[in-house]
Amino acid sequence: MKDALVLVERFTAHPDSRCWHVAWNPTATLMASCGGDRAIRIWGKEGDSWKCLSVLQDGHQRTVRRVAWSPCGTYLASASFDATTCIWKKKNDDFECLTTLEGHENEVKCVTWAPSGNLLATCSRDKSVWVWEVDEEDEYECVTVINSHTQDVKLVVWHPTLELLASASYDNNICVYKEEDDDWECKATLEGHTSTVWSLTFDPSGQRMASCSDDRTVKIWKCQNIEGPDMTWKCVCTLSGFHERSVYDIAWCRLTGALVTACGDDGVRVFKEDSTADPEQPVFSLAAHVSKAHSQDVNCVAWNPKEAGVLATCSDNGEIAIWKYQDDHE
Amino acid sequence: MASHFSGVLKLTDLDDFITPSQECVKPVKLEKKQGESVAKIQIEDDGSYFQINQDGGKQKLEKAKITLNDCLACSGCITSAESVLIAQQSQEEIFKVLRNNKLASATDQVVVVVSVSPQSRASLAARFGMSSSETGRRLTSFLKGLGVHHVFDTGFSRTFSLLESQQEFLERFQRKEQDKSALPMLTSACPGWICYAEKTHGEFILPYISTTRSPQQMMGSLVKDYFAEAQGLSPRQIFHVAVMPCYDKKLEASRPDFYLEEAESREVDLVITSGEVLSMLEQEKVILNEVKAAPLDELFSNVNGGELLSHAGGGSGGYLHHVFTHTAKQLFGEEVKELTYKTLKNKDFQEVTLEKDGVVVLRFASTYGFRNIQNLVQKLKRGKSPYHFVEVMACPSGCLNGGGQLKPLPDQTSKDLLQQVERLYKAETASLPEDDTRVSDLYHSWLHNVGAERARQLLRTQYHGVEKISNGLIIKW
Repeated sequence: MKDALVLVERFTAHPDSRCWHVAWNPTATLMASCGGDRAIRIWGKEGDSWKCLSVLQDGHQRTVRRVAWSPCGTYLASASFDATTCIWKKKNDDFECLTTLEGHENEVKCVTWAPSGNLLATCSRDKSVWVWEVDEEDEYECVTVINSHTQDVKLVVWHPTLELLASASYDNNICVYKEEDDDWECKATLEGHTSTVWSLTFDPSGQRMASCSDDRTVKIWKCQNIEGPDMTWKCVCTLSGFHERSVYDIAWCRLTGALVTACGDDGVRVFKEDSTADPEQPVFSLAAHVSKAHSQDVNCVAWNPKEAGVLATCSDNGEIAIWKYQDDHE
Repeated sequence: MASHFSGVLKLTDLDDFITPSQECVKPVKLEKKQGESVAKIQIEDDGSYFQINQDGGKQKLEKAKITLNDCLACSGCITSAESVLIAQQSQEEIFKVLRNNKLASATDQVVVVVSVSPQSRASLAARFGMSSSETGRRLTSFLKGLGVHHVFDTGFSRTFSLLESQQEFLERFQRKEQDKSALPMLTSACPGWICYAEKTHGEFILPYISTTRSPQQMMGSLVKDYFAEAQGLSPRQIFHVAVMPCYDKKLEASRPDFYLEEAESREVDLVITSGEVLSMLEQEKVILNEVKAAPLDELFSNVNGGELLSHAGGGSGGYLHHVFTHTAKQLFGEEVKELTYKTLKNKDFQEVTLEKDGVVVLRFASTYGFRNIQNLVQKLKRGKSPYHFVEVMACPSGCLNGGGQLKPLPDQTSKDLLQQVERLYKAETASLPEDDTRVSDLYHSWLHNVGAERARQLLRTQYHGVEKISNGLIIKW
């Protein structure tokens, strides 16, 4: 392995607590993190290092599991185990809580904005996926509640360009939803993982998804007829034997096409696709691996949306680390 | 087993199997006997448990049981325990009662009454290619053939529900300035919505909910009070079955509010769905459109000239329609012939307004399905609901699309079937609740005689917020 993952910086983000998620804003000038300390922290770069600019503390009563920036970068959504989702608005250097979305019966596990910024999706341990619509006055209304999973829903993610939503669950399945006739419907259920699906990511074209699971594998799914009425998804590749524990997160880089995973074995791994392979049988190889990226579980990986090869990870030990992936062939 | 309950109840975990992450928190009451501190428990081949005392004596142990009521009163896991439901509330139960009746001596026999909802009739009518009234006549014939004594129509008891709703609305409208929770009045006929409101929004939302009984439970009063009295029977001597478009109605019948303590009897003993009636027909190898028609039981049926009547408005009972037209006339002197429904966010969220001199004086809405209920509740919580009255139903498209209705045939789409059922339902002539002379007679004779307090109990009900349980067992990080 000639390619390498080099540590750029490491800092404690949520002291004495878990750091669950870290998210870059669209211009990559800020990061938001959240954790078991019920707080959300906003990070900005000062000189060469990241500094905490503000701490949003009063929004949630329990663990904050996920944060997401709106495509315009003005809003931040946070999902918490207190069953609510908060919407924060950036005002100069500070954030104020605009509204709290209630409705889930229990822990909200994930929140994500559609590319248009008009729709928001949330999912919960209550097994449901909700889509919310935002109007001009920053009012949020529930557009749909979908009960396609039979267990805890871990994650929701939007397609990069279409109004198409995917979710991953403790029931080992992935569901893909579209709006049809006044309401949202599950259009495809992707079965294949043998344990909890923890995370999902679309490739830059939106034609494929990569999923990671408690079954220690990564699967690549390819779609046919994504804009038609009967889309089909097929598993075209399974990466097994690389991860020693549950794979908690996966991210597909929009700039380089590289895949990165976060694992319960404390490692971070980058996979590169062989561009000469048959698209129906893609081949991915391990390009870089840091076995002890953190001293505990790695919960999240996020590619910097502007600077190719830069990524952030965070861990159960409360830390955030910034890495630079160097592709030997570049 | 897939759950049959409405989407709203699914969200409140009512359909949930006890999984390791959600243990039942309902303490099971056990009859403890003193002085038997040491004992062994032996499991027999048939799965029953015996306690072996020190002296060698054996004693059969009771099984811990969780009833539907335990689940309704609990905010914890809520077991799916569909077996509990199936045993207490399925078509097997009516067959059992009818079988026992045949074997019992004349004094031990019970009078079996079946009250059929107009929505169930329409669903069966679509399957068998008949009008709704014709379906009513053939169903009457089929049920009486099995040994049922009376077949009534909950369209009749719905007239009471509509009249009570109208009166309650006027009362609330009058005190809206003094009482912030007088309006909007939210309808109460949908048990899925009631269960969700009690479990999830408790004391906040309950004051807004109409105290008027649903047609099913109005019929419960009529049958177990008026009819029992008239026939010289005790409520226990009547077995009252309701046929409904909805599984959640089984939960409604099980509410302690509808249990007659003194008589030890439920006002509605059993609820079966339209689909379960189809199962009964299949079990008896009967094809409904081949059954000879029987005259309708006119005592408690909304009929005119042998044809069943309906009420104006949507397929969920017409609450919005009736209360709107009545209030417009009563308070604003406006004769509203046709209601103009404005579709808001989606087809299940509609609005009707009355303007007078360019000012909106009445603003009513119907919100069906969970997403719209959710937005309604959130608007109320933020003080941003502009409505005076809201017809709330848990199922998208309302009761005609209830979870207990017949499923589409393989060559049918559910959309086409729903349209067909709607057409059949609306084909019945609409009657005006205030013009029903038999109902007004009953108000005078029966309800006047029992006194105001008893009349209230017979026509109205109450709701109970369920406190959220938080203990170590259900909190998961």
